Parts: sequence; structure tokens; C-alpha cells
Amino acid sequence: MATDPAAVWKLVQRADELVKYAQNRDPHTAYAQARAVLDEAEALAGQLDQKAADGLRAQIETRRSDIARFEAAV
Amino acid sequence: MFRKKDPAMAARIPPGQHLTRGWPVLSASPIPPFDPATWRFRCSGLCNGAEWTWDEFRALPQTSITSDIHCVTAWSKLDNAWDGVLFSEVAKRAGIKPEATHALVKAPYDYDANLPIDALMDDDVLFAWNHDGEPLEQKHGGPLRLVVPKRYFWKSTKWANEIEFLDHDQRGFWEVRGYHNDAFPWEEQRYSWQE
Repeated sequence: MATDPAAVWKLVQRADELVKYAQNRDPHTAYAQARAVLDEAEALAGQLDQKAADGLRAQIETRRSDIARFEAAV
Repeated sequence: MFRKKDPAMAARIPPGQHLTRGWPVLSASPIPPFDPATWRFRCSGLCNGAEWTWDEFRALPQTSITSDIHCVTAWSKLDNAWDGVLFSEVAKRAGIKPEATHALVKAPYDYDANLPIDALMDDDVLFAWNHDGEPLEQKHGGPLRLVVPKRYFWKSTKWANEIEFLDHDQRGFWEVRGYHNDAFPWEEQRYSWQE
């Protein structure tokens, strides 16, 4: 069965929620969980056609940079 | 959750939202420190330019507005009493230029949110320092956050410290990351693929 870009985006959103609620608990744990979800999203994006995958990979990379920046500031 | 038999309350909840009685803490970034001695609020871009200290900003004309919050993560919180200064008052004092059509309202950690000037000049849009009669807690954007009741709440920049006036639209932090540029809750405009 073909991977749906929406399934990848859903994982990206899940990572967003983990990051958004990170300040409610141990932020480092939340950021680590968000990174794991982004890894999962990237693996799934690898099954998409290149155009769809590239856009989603760019979104995933932006979020990894955000998390690194936020984590350094905690 | 709200009681479904309360139609007046249910009618205030946009599609896809549920009511919360608490106030969840949301922030992608860490909570920035606040020092009233060094805090500044700046206006840049298409305006004459302005800068206020915390005491100066708090001395701006105060207004009180009660409005509902609709967060894109699907909770809504009704009847929030805000005290602060209208965006329109700040823009006027900054000498906004006629060619300004949009603005980015900015915060630490490179956060920003974009909106058209027309939307920001609405009489329910303010920079709030109090919530329900108490100083706005830092975890909720204190000392100062923008409040734009007609849009999803990410447009209401927490820890606001700058307005940049622009003659074009420029997507903000979440808008670049796949979230809707307009963000109207009653139209459920959550993601950029809906645009």
C-alpha cells in the first residue's frame, strides 16, 4: 500500500505537540520523544515520491533545528 | 468538557474544538526570562520607530476586553478577561506609515506571527499584561502577549517585544512550518495545505 503524505504530516504534527507541551514536563524528555517521532516521519517520507518527500523532509529538518536550538536554551 | 445540553456555550465552540476549564501551557521554546529593568518593546519597519521600557509601556492607555481562546491543538477557553493596550494605540504612537499592510509580532527565540494590519487594528486586539485580573503568568506569555481573539491562538504572540511593520505579507514561525496563514477557527483553517 502506498504511503500517504498525510500520514507523514500527522507524525510531524505529533512531534509539534510534544514540543509545544514540553514546558509542562521535563523538556529534554519531550524533545527526545519529538526527535524520535521525526525520525519515524522521515522513514515514512522515504516511501513517498520525491516531490512530496522533499517538502516533508524540509519540514522535518526545520523542526530538528528548532529542537536543537530550544534544547540548548533550556 | 462542556455540557452538550448547554447550547449557548456549545455555540461558542468552533468545529473540531473542545472546551477546557484549565489553561494548558504551550510553548515551542523555553520560557524567556523577564527583567523589568532591561525589557524593551520596539516598533520597526514601516513606522517612525518607537521603543518603550516596561514602565513606559505599562503607562500606555489601558483597555479591558473579554474574549475566547481557540488553540489549534483543539482546546478552547472561554471568557478570558484581558487588560492591556490596544494594538491600534501602539501602532498610532509608533507612527505607522500608510503603506504598511502587514506586521510580524515578534518574541524571543525567533518566534513571530504575521497578520494583516486591518486584522490587528480590530478593537478586540490588544497587548495584554493581565489575565483575569492578575499579572499574566510567564508560562502564558507574561509579561506581555498579543491577543487576537478571531484567530487561532498561535497568532497571539507570547512574550511579545517587537512589531515589524511591512508592505507585504511574510509568514511567521508556525506559518512557515505548515500552519495556515489566516488561521480562522470558525473555518477550521489549521494547516497550509488548506490554503
